[in-house]
Amino acid sequence: MSSNCSVTTLQLDSIGQTEPATVHLLPCEIEHDGPAEVSRFFTATIKDRKHEKTVSFRGRGLKGQEVSCPQGYTGLVLSEVNKPGSDQEDRTVKVSSVFHNLTYWNLETPPNSDDGIVMAMAWPDLAEAIHGPLDD
Amino acid sequence: MTTKKKRTPHSQNDRWVVIVADPAVETPKKDESDPVFVRLRNPSTDEASLYLFGSGDVQLYEVKAFNEDFHSWFIGQAVQRDGRLLYVTPMDPLYLLLPYLIKASEEGKFQPVDQVVIDEEFPACSRLLSCTRSLASLHYVAEEKDVGSRKFHRYSQEKTLQWLKKKVERTVTALRRSTVSVGEGVKSTTYIRVKQEAREEDYVRYAHGLISEYISEDLSRALQTHLQLPELSSPKEVEPPSKKRKLSDKPVESAEDYTKFNSSDFARKPPKKMSAAQKTLAKVDKTGMKSMSAFFSPKVKDEKK
Repeated sequence: MSSNCSVTTLQLDSIGQTEPATVHLLPCEIEHDGPAEVSRFFTATIKDRKHEKTVSFRGRGLKGQEVSCPQGYTGLVLSEVNKPGSDQEDRTVKVSSVFHNLTYWNLETPPNSDDGIVMAMAWPDLAEAIHGPLDD
Repeated sequence: MTTKKKRTPHSQNDRWVVIVADPAVETPKKDESDPVFVRLRNPSTDEASLYLFGSGDVQLYEVKAFNEDFHSWFIGQAVQRDGRLLYVTPMDPLYLLLPYLIKASEEGKFQPVDQVVIDEEFPACSRLLSCTRSLASLHYVAEEKDVGSRKFHRYSQEKTLQWLKKKVERTVTALRRSTVSVGEGVKSTTYIRVKQEAREEDYVRYAHGLISEYISEDLSRALQTHLQLPELSSPKEVEPPSKKRKLSDKPVESAEDYTKFNSSDFARKPPKKMSAAQKTLAKVDKTGMKSMSAFFSPKVKDEKK
């Protein structure tokens, strides 16, 4: 059943009440959604090397680096408020966290400009070329 | 590794990591509503994709999912299994209006645009006309006629192709500035890819590919002719199949309708035509290499139901 009529409102007034969150993108799927002791078991063991960060996660060595959101862009974590029972109903999401940079981790490979996430950060510039108003 | 680990489907995903253009999340002016995510007809696939209208519908945004297999997030003190990164970037509403204008042009007459941009399946499409740029930019793709105080429009393919050509030119300029490698890059032993000098044609072809994600296949072909891009004679895969990234030609896997975003991974098919050097390169064992061009695909496919 298609539900193309329902819309999802982004509640912006929630943005003022958020706290900045530390965000890590991990090179594995963790089959879990919910609380975890990230700072105790993960963040605490991160080592800052010259060109990369390293950490051990589930016995594997990860190498990572911090990337900033592109200029003019902000990172948000959106979460749903009162999930409705059917896909016909309108929905609402609020901003639960804000971030300006994130750390992504590779398995073994040192972070480099070929990493997907680094490439993704170039998207806004291309999008501007594709969608920006023509100057004439 | 060609086999993929079976995973349980994403169940109750109710959080999303999004990188959003600042104007989209500025506090709305008085009396203006909050931004809304809506589903509209994707001009390339003709199916539903997710977009965002900024406050007061003045600006349209594209919602694009950047997706690599086997990723999850740590957000503060929590795990989020869904490792996608969503992008919300400003979008030219004209791409979405175009299919309606083209359809209406079958009758060959000038029509008021608000009678043309109507879609039972996607009622929100009429809101596209509220975007500041919509009415002001219709002249790029249609002939205009004033009758009394009303404006009438009729789609013009000739004008549209000129408009799209300008889009391609802008995109070529942006690609030259960027780190995106439009030809086949070479990876050195240090695994750092070196951006190679690409030919003009490579840039134009790549830009044409990016723009084609926002227009119909017919129009894409017409644009290719208009740009005088030679037809690709012998399509060959540049990469061994096992090394190909999973492209987003499939719907994003989830029953959740929330997750119907535009294209999942910025990945792009490698160029189909190869130069002599590329053909030689293609024979080289590229285990461990991935095509740089694989990262940008605005390949937009989406589920419908």
